[in-house]
Amino acid sequence: MKKIIKLLKLLKLPVMDGFQILITIQLVIFSVFMLLPIVYIFNHALKPYSELFIYPPNIFVRNPNSQNFNELFLVAASSAIPITRYLFNSVFISVGSVVGITFVSILCAYPISKHKFPGHKIVFSIIILTLMFAPEAVQIPRYLVVSKLGIMNTYFGHFLPLLAMPVSVFLMKQFIDQIPDELIQAAYLDGAKEFSVFLYIIVPNCMPAVATVAILAFQASWSNIETSTLFMQDDEMKNFAYFLSTLTNNLTNNVARQGAAAAAALIMFIPNLFIFLFFQGKMITTMAHSGIKGSEKSGKKSE
Amino acid sequence: MAGLKIERLWKRYNDTAVVKEVDLEINDKEFIVFVGPSGCGKSTTLRMIAGLEGISDGEIYIGGRVVNNVVPADRDIAMVFQNYALYPHMSVYDNIAFNLKLRKVPKKEIDRRVREAAKVLEIEEYLQRKPGALSGGQRQRVALGRAIVREPQVFLLDEPLSNLDAKMRVQMRSEIVNLHQRLKTTFIYVTHDQTEAMTMGDRIVIMKDGVIQQVGTPEEVYDQPVNIFVGGFIGSPPMNFIEGELIEEGERLYFYNQAIKIAIPSIQAQHLRESKNIRRKVILGIRPEDIHQNSLAFGNRVQAEVELVELTGAEKYLHISLEEKKVVARVNSRSIIKVGSNVELAFDTDRLHFFDARTEQRIAN
Repeated sequence: MKKIIKLLKLLKLPVMDGFQILITIQLVIFSVFMLLPIVYIFNHALKPYSELFIYPPNIFVRNPNSQNFNELFLVAASSAIPITRYLFNSVFISVGSVVGITFVSILCAYPISKHKFPGHKIVFSIIILTLMFAPEAVQIPRYLVVSKLGIMNTYFGHFLPLLAMPVSVFLMKQFIDQIPDELIQAAYLDGAKEFSVFLYIIVPNCMPAVATVAILAFQASWSNIETSTLFMQDDEMKNFAYFLSTLTNNLTNNVARQGAAAAAALIMFIPNLFIFLFFQGKMITTMAHSGIKGSEKSGKKSE
Repeated sequence: MAGLKIERLWKRYNDTAVVKEVDLEINDKEFIVFVGPSGCGKSTTLRMIAGLEGISDGEIYIGGRVVNNVVPADRDIAMVFQNYALYPHMSVYDNIAFNLKLRKVPKKEIDRRVREAAKVLEIEEYLQRKPGALSGGQRQRVALGRAIVREPQVFLLDEPLSNLDAKMRVQMRSEIVNLHQRLKTTFIYVTHDQTEAMTMGDRIVIMKDGVIQQVGTPEEVYDQPVNIFVGGFIGSPPMNFIEGELIEEGERLYFYNQAIKIAIPSIQAQHLRESKNIRRKVILGIRPEDIHQNSLAFGNRVQAEVELVELTGAEKYLHISLEEKKVVARVNSRSIIKVGSNVELAFDTDRLHFFDARTEQRIAN
């Protein structure tokens, strides 16, 4: 036992007691469970047809090849609109949404959190209330709004329905709550006007929350087919997710194009993975700060 | 450089007033300390001076100008917060320079002033660090540095030492006093610690429940507390209070209750007679250091059993009971007194304070 501890110390690994070992094992099992779909997506995309339909299915691919991707590109090449147009749309919409949602959320959360204007609690409650609506419930009113605004078939039709994102306002608000009031007052005394306080004090101090919201916003817009389905009539205005969904729709009992669907799933997934890996550290900070236990005053941060 | 004047200042939250009718004049270059228990309105008053709280009623003048509706940035003040409120994402240098940058001071000038302040406060080595990497004392200095570079007319300090450990607190205490002498600016300092108030202030403002109790130099508030609250708040351990009656026996006036009978010196007796307090209930106040052991004074002795002995090193405190009332006496630390033993203590009659039992205000002198 002593030798093991010595070895752990040598490798700079933490020495754990019984309970911690138990928890760690439990977490490892959970994470394997969570990891499984990701591993499956990667392997599935590389499986030849012969392996796609094996029963019972294999998780790991035996003879990886690029046949599925070839099929996907073949299908894509034969469509009227070049695939690059869909990709451009998706990237443009996603980047725009990420910037827009982050900006709107932080701009909305700051006054609710720090300027206790009359009725700020009601406003916040309403924002939280909107979380409870199923997306399907608002599709028709949303359609009416977009149609009346005359932004059908434009990029605004993609952005606007996504712009108000209650979850991100909530996360931002909880995070800004943790910033001590004294910091803002000190900035006032230093001569900062309202917007300077926002720009130089609030925004830099909630970068972790910004990163989290960016991930959520990216995921929401990248895989969003609702706006393309409902508000875009022209094919060249639809996004990549929509294009892929047309490939894979109605495949439940169909053998054709299963390979292309598997490849498409991987392509859809990869940007999410990278964005998450890039921002994950900050995401954890946000969750810890705005967590449900979050009553702990973060005076420490300011000290 | 400017003085400050507060006229009939009120602060109300809904129906509860937290600052009531505060009138105060603060001279130019003065170091004034607001002291009182928590919730007495001292911080609120300071925050009203800073402009961080609205004023319900009354006026605040800085350098002869009414500042009620002036935004904090234009009041020509600087404030140091209890938790320092350093911007965590900026380096020490940027923290100190933030104000100057906002005021669009030329870069060279900013650099000169920041380095000068850093030199005064001995934080030159930390300029590139983030506040998170500093100790409490260093953060305190950065917060002071941020105030210094602005060259304000008035410095406001809101319990700046309460987050420091005891040793650091004593050190920073003298450093802030030195800083005041060096900058020759008006300082307004809020604390709940009477030691800080006594050691630092040119004048002390004692507040309770939103009302100023007494304003005076440390000597004045210590030697002539206007009421029981001030007497009990200033000084550690606090003043002893003993209830009793004033009675006349022949020519002499005595303070009398079941346990003690003290002859009052003739000058003070004269005052007490004039203020018509004879045969009325009064409260006698006496500081622990004015109760002596082995005194040569006649007459004013009490016999009591020692209930507790506290040794602080330099001195020793004896706790005794007089008619159920706890009384603390300060004696020589080398005296050999044990719990349970009987002592004879003498009251220094030149240092007696009398308060009205009903109003708790000081009677005569």
